[in-house]
Amino acid sequence: MVQINFARKEINCKLVYYGPGLSGKTTNLEMVHQRTPEQNKGELTSISTDGDRTLFFDFMPLDLGEIAGMKTKFHLYTVPGQVYYNSTRKLVLLGADGIIFVADSSRAKLAENLESLDNLRENLAEMGKDLSKFPLVLQWNKRDVADAMPVTELNERLNAFEAPSFEAVASRGEGVIQTLKELSARVLARISSTEQAGLAAPPVEERPAAVEPVEKPHAREAAVQAQVAPPPVGGFQIERNEVQSEPRRREPEPRTLPLPAQSRVASNPLEEMGVAACAGPSAAAASGQASLVAAPAQVATLERPRAAQARPAARAEARAPAHCHGVPPPAESYRREVRVISGRRHGAPMRTDSDRSLVVGLIFGVAVAAAAVFAYTRFFG
Amino acid sequence: MTQRSPVVSDAALRQGRVVYYEEHMAQVDRVLAEFLRRSGARSAYLIDKDGHLITKAGEAGDFHPDTISALVAGAFAATKEMARLLGEREFSALFHQGERDNIQLSLVGNRAILTVLFDDSTTLGMVRLYVSEAVSRLAGIFERAAAQPGREGAAQIDPSYGDSVQRTLDNLFK
Ligand SMILES: Nc1nc2c(ncn2[C@@H]2O[C@H](COP(=O)(O)OP(=O)(O)OP(=O)(O)O)[C@@H](O)[C@H]2O)c(=O)[nH]1
Ligand SMILES: [Mg+2]
Repeated sequence: MVQINFARKEINCKLVYYGPGLSGKTTNLEMVHQRTPEQNKGELTSISTDGDRTLFFDFMPLDLGEIAGMKTKFHLYTVPGQVYYNSTRKLVLLGADGIIFVADSSRAKLAENLESLDNLRENLAEMGKDLSKFPLVLQWNKRDVADAMPVTELNERLNAFEAPSFEAVASRGEGVIQTLKELSARVLARISSTEQAGLAAPPVEERPAAVEPVEKPHAREAAVQAQVAPPPVGGFQIERNEVQSEPRRREPEPRTLPLPAQSRVASNPLEEMGVAACAGPSAAAASGQASLVAAPAQVATLERPRAAQARPAARAEARAPAHCHGVPPPAESYRREVRVISGRRHGAPMRTDSDRSLVVGLIFGVAVAAAAVFAYTRFFG
Repeated sequence: MTQRSPVVSDAALRQGRVVYYEEHMAQVDRVLAEFLRRSGARSAYLIDKDGHLITKAGEAGDFHPDTISALVAGAFAATKEMARLLGEREFSALFHQGERDNIQLSLVGNRAILTVLFDDSTTLGMVRLYVSEAVSRLAGIFERAAAQPGREGAAQIDPSYGDSVQRTLDNLFK
């Protein structure tokens, strides 16, 4: 959701790279990072597995500077492409204002591309959004591979909405900036056109506003109609319709969150994530507290001068050390507790095994995210 | 996974944008400043659930506020989903304990997360005491603001914005 902050004179938008596993989403972001002038970017933060696969997301703030008096910023995210990570993928997708779908041009990957596109449509639908009306740009990546499908065929198979599309070889930085510029222009044009349209109006479905493409997309006129949605401008537009039905509770005793047994030892979902899980300190485990030890995943922050080509090295530095088996935790490790200080339990929790493993997966996700937050403040704070 | 309910209500998401005006933010900033003074915490960040920073107060860390915002929102979103699976409506607060620094995250209304960084110069008890007070005051500000009718004459985005976008992008990536 676009944030317009008149107090800080800022406009913030969230753009998300989507697509199947290994299609080159992270590579795109690394290249954008590399090509963005110093003063316009923050660090690139990656929450990834040991094998450099995205686990939760990659993130980079991109500062466009002042546009008509408003400091305009993009928050660029990549989702984890692997099918297994759909629950975290959805979290990253939440609140997105525009999507770059990175497809792998290889013919062998056609089925995966289709599956990922379907998954995107479903996930958006679950959030009440319609992919056909969502600001979307497609990228045909890996044009350099031997079995690359012709662009016309890719368009036929994957581009039902006639969204703008660009060829790219992300690993060489080709096509990366054009793709991003196109989506940026689309998302921002929407902001100003809807703002100009004036006063408060009921919420309407997302519609892309017409905008001249930065570069003519391949063999394709920008086929987006000039449908400018009247804006929900005016007022402090904060989910007015979502009434808080539950009364605020008084703060009860701090409660600890009981964990399913698997979470205290390496369990399948964790192993599937390709990372080492480790047991919490036995004292904490005995007391039943949700206590996980340090980040099994990497939280890598590429610093400015390094950027993309330094990827393996930079990530290796941040690799989580092996402290599982009695090795004393290093300085940056710490314990986390997930404490519920408010909130009543209702309904029978966790009925099935699959529910349970999902919970374990999510607890793990939370731990990783918490580790990320922490590592970040500790390293830089 | 099939019978799951939407993560967020349709209405909220179709809205498409969230707008913060100066007068409300001034009130928010006052609440945060007072909170820091009384609790002894180092800094406070008010973060949109989408991961955008709304405002911050206190010591500036060396870290990038946008990055911390994205990470906090990610952590909270993952927790929320976990809560749903456990049959909770939402965990309204999270606490991360470090060796020296601690982070307390609290939900403010439906839209924002109050992130408090504190060290051993204060205690969790103190922080919690004042956090709950600050949270209800912030939620009050948000509610009153949301209840206001459409705002003619309020701050607007300059009409030249759209035209300037392309130029800015071209300049940025020459
Ligand atoms: N040949 C070729 N390889 C590429 C290109 N773009 C990326 N790659 C490679 O593809 C591999 C996967 O790239 P990533 O960017 O990590 O893929 P991803 O989409 O982020 O994958 P997940 O995080 O698992 O979703 C890496 O080894 C890249 O170097 C390209 O244009 N051509
Ligand atoms: Mg990736």
